[in-house]
Amino acid sequence: MPPAAGSNLGYKPPDGGWGWAVVFAAFISIGFSYAFPKSLTIYFKEIQEYFSVSYSEIAWVSSVMLASMYAGGPVSSILVNRYGSRPVVMVGGIMVSVAMVLASFGTTIIHLYLCVGVIGGFGLAFNLQPALTIIGTYFQVKRPIANGLAMTGSPVVLSTLAPLNQFLFDSFGWRGSFLILGSIVLNCCVAAALMRPVNKCAQPNPNTDSPQFNGAVTEGADADTSTELANPLPGECQDESKSKSCCSKFIDLSLFRHRGFLIYLSGNVVMFFGFFAPVVFLAPYAKHQGTDEYSAALLLSIFALVDMFIRPITGLIGNSKWVRPRIQYFFSFAVSYNGICHLLCPLASGYKGLVVYAVFFGSAFGMLSALLFEVLMDLVGAHRFSSAVGLVTIIECGPVLLGPPISGALVDIFGDYKYMYYACGILMLLPGIFFFIMHYYNYKKLEEERRQSTAGEMRTSEEAVQLKMDQNVKTTNETDR
Amino acid sequence: MKLLWAVSALLLSCWRTNASTAPNIITEPAEVRNQTSVELSCNLTDHSLPIKGSHWTHNGKIIEESKTTEDKSFTSLRLEKITYHSSGQYECVFHTDPEVKKTIEVKTVPHVSASKHSEHGNENDKGVMTCVSHGYPLPTDWVWFKEEDGNRKAIINGTGDRYEIKSTPNKTTLTINELSIDNDIGDYICSGTSELGTSVDKIYLRVRSRLAALWPFLGIVAEVIILVTIIFIYEKRRKPDEVNDGSAPLKSNSNANHKDKNVRQRNSN
Repeated sequence: MPPAAGSNLGYKPPDGGWGWAVVFAAFISIGFSYAFPKSLTIYFKEIQEYFSVSYSEIAWVSSVMLASMYAGGPVSSILVNRYGSRPVVMVGGIMVSVAMVLASFGTTIIHLYLCVGVIGGFGLAFNLQPALTIIGTYFQVKRPIANGLAMTGSPVVLSTLAPLNQFLFDSFGWRGSFLILGSIVLNCCVAAALMRPVNKCAQPNPNTDSPQFNGAVTEGADADTSTELANPLPGECQDESKSKSCCSKFIDLSLFRHRGFLIYLSGNVVMFFGFFAPVVFLAPYAKHQGTDEYSAALLLSIFALVDMFIRPITGLIGNSKWVRPRIQYFFSFAVSYNGICHLLCPLASGYKGLVVYAVFFGSAFGMLSALLFEVLMDLVGAHRFSSAVGLVTIIECGPVLLGPPISGALVDIFGDYKYMYYACGILMLLPGIFFFIMHYYNYKKLEEERRQSTAGEMRTSEEAVQLKMDQNVKTTNETDR
Repeated sequence: MKLLWAVSALLLSCWRTNASTAPNIITEPAEVRNQTSVELSCNLTDHSLPIKGSHWTHNGKIIEESKTTEDKSFTSLRLEKITYHSSGQYECVFHTDPEVKKTIEVKTVPHVSASKHSEHGNENDKGVMTCVSHGYPLPTDWVWFKEEDGNRKAIINGTGDRYEIKSTPNKTTLTINELSIDNDIGDYICSGTSELGTSVDKIYLRVRSRLAALWPFLGIVAEVIILVTIIFIYEKRRKPDEVNDGSAPLKSNSNANHKDKNVRQRNSN
């Protein structure tokens, strides 16, 4: 039985219906957020020659964009907590669009840093967090599938944008392409329009107070207040939804005392050092082994294709009744699987070995990406997810930005790629094992706390029944007299 | 006087013996110009030194197939179908102590090729065309032409501040500033000349109008606005129905009940 953590939401999420349209909208938003910075690299060579700058200066555009996207996380969380997902995504889409249009008229590289990097990055941050948050409000039972499907947006949009960017570049040059990309990114506003705030009144509340395996119920002190709003009256519905405890806070810093959140954060910080580097270096490593440029690009396509299909499949597996209660173990397995893949990569010989590695790595990467935010939702609950994801992204900013350059430095120092793969493998295997151990401990503690709380409830309910019986006896005695 | 003669004769004989003891390689031919195939050969005239083998190099890179450990003083290399790939400096190296070698130059007409045969530029922006050259020897002179009505018009560096030509032996770049659609569209010819001859290549320059990208942009923006409007209208039309489902039926039901009650009461009365 999937855990009924929705009982602390105060309403029953639709788990379907308009939720699937919201998943599609999140698919688009998440897709643009992750794929857009990567796909812009196609223009870099031309822009580098146009402005006569060095390669590292042009690579800064990508880094500034990624940094802004991660740093904008908390700002985005605050805005989502205050205003809901839809306005924030709308603003985000317009921001990125305006940024690209301004960049197309840019005359120096600094213009690109500011427009594409800072404004564009913030706009993408305003797309990413709300999209993830709104899935948590629409889905409870089918949430892993919804998350898996939404995260599939990243490889799909990347596979679409890459050839499209090449075509635009050949037809219109980089300035024209930026202008047209500005309009394409405006489709995020269409996604925003689809992100209708969930109707919290239309469904009757089942009032099933059976918190099974979710830490949010026992640990979230402020979440308990929402269980009191179990059956809101229709007339008061619109006002209640605004004053709900989940939405009125700016950002929930009490998360730093949440055990599950701290486990997730500490493991992720180490893991992200070795997360993106193997993707960045897959093609250069293949070329280093002697394959030609076309075959090296084919490896990346194989990787993206496997990634694309494994994400929804992971969502399905995560939703099954065997895995859902223990989804944290599934996540730990995914992290460790990544680590083992990288450790075994240097053993791959020849092009066929590299293809096998690309397939396994694609499946590992997809599995991890699909579960990345699902497990966070599972740990902190849909209420505090918005603040949680904001805090997580700003803290992960460092490892994400430093990971590839450090790996590159490793390759340069040793002159061989295998040390980088060993390092990335260890950096992913250790957090995986850490997650396994810590979540075993965490699940045990949660079981204890749950047993204590149900024992406490039973005691109070027994006392209440006893009191009632005494009262009845008293009244019957009185009426008898 | 006689002493002077004797000393000079001694010096001359010393020099002659030095010259004759230094290994002398006779190369055949001395230089190759514009031939389709040739056989290069080196003959080491001095047999006093032990020869452990020989090999050939092409532009500094050792030709693996030419390596031999035979102690022959004659070595040859056959070149079939000489193109600009195979032109360059060939060296025959004898594995003696110390090594002796001699260079034979194989020269061809330079091969000139454009980096891209079709270039794009934006109106009022700059357009850059590049030609590179391979082979040996590299061109010493680069000239750019614009083809107009079948005639070639030479472009001189700096005319009207719009044209800039930068040339190095293996690469030449023509930059046109402030492109205009009327004047600058057409074929451009780069020509490289070396001592052996001239070779040319053609590039077609396309100038995009400033507004070329504007139409797709406006089209997609219009599509986005239409979709957003449709979605919002659909939501507004559904929303009152949903709210009515929750609250209004309660009221209307109660009214109906009330009416029914009245009817029942009247009937009962």
